[in-house]
Amino acid sequence: MRTWLTVGFFLLLALWYLSFSAARLDRLHHRVETSWANLDVLLQKRAAIALEIAHSDLADPASSMLLTGAAYQARDAEIKNRSMAESGLSGALGLLLSDGLAHATESEQALLQELSALTAKIRIAISIHTDAVSSTVMVRKKFVVRTFRLAGNAPLPVKYEFESDVL
Amino acid sequence: MLTKKLKIGIVCPYGWDTPGGVQNHIRDLAEFLIAAGHDVSVLAPAIDEDKLPSYVVSAGKPISIPYNGAVARVLFGPIAYARVRQWISSGNFDLLHLHEPAIPSISLLACWAAEGPMVGTFHAAAKRQKVIFAIGPILEPAIEKLNARIAVSEAARLTLTDHLETDAVVIPNGIYAKRYAEGVAQEKWQGNTIGFIGRFEEPRKGLQVLVDALPIISRFAPDVRVLVAGPGDPKDVEKQIDPQLRKRFEFLGRISEEEKADFMSSISLYVAPNTGGESFGIILAEALAGGACVVASDIPAFDSLLGGGEFGALFESENSTDLAKVVIDLLRDDKKRKDLAAAGKARSELFDWDVVAEQIFSIYEMAIVGGEGVTLGSDNRSWNRFLSRDEEKK
Repeated sequence: MRTWLTVGFFLLLALWYLSFSAARLDRLHHRVETSWANLDVLLQKRAAIALEIAHSDLADPASSMLLTGAAYQARDAEIKNRSMAESGLSGALGLLLSDGLAHATESEQALLQELSALTAKIRIAISIHTDAVSSTVMVRKKFVVRTFRLAGNAPLPVKYEFESDVL
Repeated sequence: MLTKKLKIGIVCPYGWDTPGGVQNHIRDLAEFLIAAGHDVSVLAPAIDEDKLPSYVVSAGKPISIPYNGAVARVLFGPIAYARVRQWISSGNFDLLHLHEPAIPSISLLACWAAEGPMVGTFHAAAKRQKVIFAIGPILEPAIEKLNARIAVSEAARLTLTDHLETDAVVIPNGIYAKRYAEGVAQEKWQGNTIGFIGRFEEPRKGLQVLVDALPIISRFAPDVRVLVAGPGDPKDVEKQIDPQLRKRFEFLGRISEEEKADFMSSISLYVAPNTGGESFGIILAEALAGGACVVASDIPAFDSLLGGGEFGALFESENSTDLAKVVIDLLRDDKKRKDLAAAGKARSELFDWDVVAEQIFSIYEMAIVGGEGVTLGSDNRSWNRFLSRDEEKK
């Protein structure tokens, strides 16, 4: 009788642990999705501002072309190529900003200020997202999670390698 | 800046009645948020429930435990847990901001119980401890519920990455820089004066290092005076001091915020000889804002706050001879001292609440994306939902 009780107890404990791990993993997946959605919105905004800058007097025709191209690429890129496309956009913006600041009118100044505020936010959003991804990956590597397939059919989150220093 | 008005719940892990950096930070943050039009409730342990400001809710009487080289007044246990759960479920919060969720107190309990948008701020900086290998796996599931993590300094961030393998955004503690800049110099504190503020009885505050340095300092600057402010009984310290130098020390007791601003504007040098356990060093930021020239030990937190010596002088921690050398050098060289103080004052604007709160707001903004408010985690579990549905039918 007693052995059965002990076995039953441990079985319950194991079941509780499985349910706990599944809930934990589910929450992490949710966090990856929301943090990505957040980052995505910010990046789209940045591409929009880049286009606006490209169409303003701030940019000469050549850099305007470069910037427009980079912005469209960043918008259309698949999630896996996204970081490369965004880095391209960062580079194009950097080129323009390094010499464009001197002769900017007031409205253009406002645009640039918006861009720098956005950049600060993107930096935070990236760190939040990469953190969510790495903790999810860590939990998914756990023995229990792999053996009992607690992740179900959810795809392994893509690590977004966006170097924040190029922003 | 956030345009939407939020209902924010802040959890303070330490007793509200005892003075401390974390409590001050939370008080200032809460008041800043309220002034910005947000609805704020702070849950904190408290000894005297009648003296609390209107936005603080007591979670019960704190328990004293030794932690990180000092006595921490924290709170946990089943009754506290029930109170935390009750506060969360009745609060209807859009967001929870938990301070120090990695120490055994109500922040951890709240993190465990709640589900939804949560931000955690890590204040402490500690050396890597073996015990964390045992605690880590227990903390991990709770800590990873936080949508965003804030560390108050680079030292706190390193502690977090070392201990819990998770990264954080560094946002410094805030000060009301203007309040300190408006301090009026008081004649009684002027002259060759060295200031020290803090609970001087605690060894890690390092008053002893300053006491040991004084014989050398007074040889070169005979009119030097040391002004010590802060709660505590000066008798034990006075015994340590050479009788001939005893008159050089003045113990002012606890001083108010306004007096503190005047104090920082009056003294020649502010000395922070802390030997460790310090994560940010808010008092240094305040001293800089008040226009004092700062001399601090080279522990990591102070080193990064003072930009490696650019905004204030550093000396080798626990080395009183080095401290004496730096102090004498600065007391003799008026220009150097004033230049350092000016550089420090410009630096302190980075820690002003206007700047800091803006950064915290953008973290809040990101944390609430996709969240539908804070609920109790247990209410969402399927079997509980199933059970409560049964009850509704009856």
